[in-house]
Amino acid sequence: MKALFNHLKFSRILIGDWILFFAALLLVIFLFKTYWHVESATKLQIRQGDKIYSTLSLNQSRTLLIHGPLGDTKISIQNGQVRFVSSPCRNQYCVHQGWLRHSGQVAICLPNQISLELLGADKPFDSLNY
Amino acid sequence: MLAILLMSCGREPLVQTQSYVFGTLVDISIYGESDAKAHQAINHVLENFQQLHHQLHAWKPDSELSQLNQSFAVGNTPVKVTPELSKMLIEASELSRQSDGLFNPALGHLINAWGFQRDEFTPVEINDADIQKWVKAQPVMSDIVIKNEMVYSRNPAVKLDLGGYAKGYALDQAAKILRDQDIKNALVNIGGNIIAVGKHGDKPWRVGIHHPRLAKPMATLELLDGWAVGTSGDYQRYFELNGRRYCHILDPHAGYPAQGTQAVTVLIPPGKNAGVMSDVASKPIFISGENAKAEAAKKMNVAFYLIVSAQGKLTASEGMSKRLNWLIKNPDVKVLPD
Amino acid sequence: MQINTTLDDHRVAKLAALAIGLHLLESIMPSPLPGVKPGIANIVTLFVLYRFDFATAAWVSLLRVFATSLLLGNFLSPTFALSLGGAIMSLGVLGLAQYLPRPYFGPVSLSILAAFAHMIGQLMLVRLWLIPHAGLAYLVPLFMAAALLFGLINGIVTSHLLAAYPKPAD
Repeated sequence: MKALFNHLKFSRILIGDWILFFAALLLVIFLFKTYWHVESATKLQIRQGDKIYSTLSLNQSRTLLIHGPLGDTKISIQNGQVRFVSSPCRNQYCVHQGWLRHSGQVAICLPNQISLELLGADKPFDSLNY
Repeated sequence: MLAILLMSCGREPLVQTQSYVFGTLVDISIYGESDAKAHQAINHVLENFQQLHHQLHAWKPDSELSQLNQSFAVGNTPVKVTPELSKMLIEASELSRQSDGLFNPALGHLINAWGFQRDEFTPVEINDADIQKWVKAQPVMSDIVIKNEMVYSRNPAVKLDLGGYAKGYALDQAAKILRDQDIKNALVNIGGNIIAVGKHGDKPWRVGIHHPRLAKPMATLELLDGWAVGTSGDYQRYFELNGRRYCHILDPHAGYPAQGTQAVTVLIPPGKNAGVMSDVASKPIFISGENAKAEAAKKMNVAFYLIVSAQGKLTASEGMSKRLNWLIKNPDVKVLPD
Repeated sequence: MQINTTLDDHRVAKLAALAIGLHLLESIMPSPLPGVKPGIANIVTLFVLYRFDFATAAWVSLLRVFATSLLLGNFLSPTFALSLGGAIMSLGVLGLAQYLPRPYFGPVSLSILAAFAHMIGQLMLVRLWLIPHAGLAYLVPLFMAAALLFGLINGIVTSHLLAAYPKPAD
């Protein structure tokens, strides 16, 4: 700690520099809070059987392979949306659901026991009747 | 970072689980209990579901229901059933009568002819001769004679399939088990049918109603203590053949899937069998023709219902209309006075 | 532009060459995120601003941008435009920030301000011209955090260099 303090003194940072640095730091924190808040409100929860497989941000481009009782289900995330791309099930209802983008949207593959749910602060209900 | 911290501090006492039992997705939420107590109660419920699933399975030959069906097929010797199954059959028969036979759990052979008695089904070659054979045989619930837990059928064409009843029955069981376990607030969802116990904190439980054609909810409604909601839709189990949709809800008179409706949602007030009614009561309304739907609802004592026609037109009873919060913009809802 | 002495002329030329060298070095270094670079050549710009004047610093900075783009063969390409846009923005801010009271605000302040300006200039160009949708929005905080970090480090390095190479008496 003392070494660090000496180092800071040695680093020739003036009082104004400190003030400016912390102001800049506050700005960066503010940016993280504003821009990344949107992200935390749009999350994808993937469930595999009884377990939560993963909770992911939708702000990424990614393809996932998730293993279920019938085999691997392929899921694609891009541009804030998610969909089942392919599934080893017969009926392919899950694939036909297409892209999900709004919080509260759900797509389920019953045969392969995988579900996708979009979570968000604004989810207007507790459970879905279908 | 701070936001995450704040969120974890303010986490509400809600335990949510999702499981695949009953050949469907079961989703249970419990509010305001310790994790351990909630999970224990959920396990009780799931065990019960698993047991019911084995007992009532319509196409696994070793279920109690299948064994009964086998005895129906070979003659009319009375078979001893468990008191629980006996009670279910009496209730299902009564509801079938109330619906003028539109709710008909005796149609197992017809359902099988359509290929809906499978975990995974593919479009079947529609075998009209086979279908007409089962329609002509007229298997109905009143063919079944139940006396002192001894059951037989006067019609060998009867094959029980409680697919339109079992989930609702399981809901009632779940609500009862949870209350017995001293759980005050819970929401149970079995494959889309939902029953509420208590509240979600200081607000009622809220459920979303799925849009029959889009992968999103079209409306929400508040589900107060003891209320149940269920939907019959042509989007849950169906296949498409030559551009036509064949859903799993069969019209017993025609022997063909009911056309003309995308979905019927019913909201059932608290009662001993609210769960069962949420499962059963939507079917006669779904199958009935456009002009007979209100009458069918009345026969089933359903005051709160929402109908989405094949063209996507929305019709709701007045009571239902008042309770719905639409998520779609400018819904054009025809309101039927109570 | 006026250069008073031939000695200074030499010095400035050497410093510009150094800036170009550092820029080239940085251009071949791998980056975890495109657009996130330490910007060590800015140390030279700052150094020149303190040792000479703003006009000379601007000259060194712009010379570096043009020369490196010609050497790397990306003159008039988007990379060049981003580099130039960043340089102009940061020079604009430096032009104002040089009047901050010296006893309180040193190279560290100027470096951080310049790095922010550089990054904002680049992000604005990207948003308005290269990727005209909000897809990059969530990267903004990362870019700005990187700018703060490298601005701080470059500023500290510049302070030390200014101390190590005092102004020659002339």
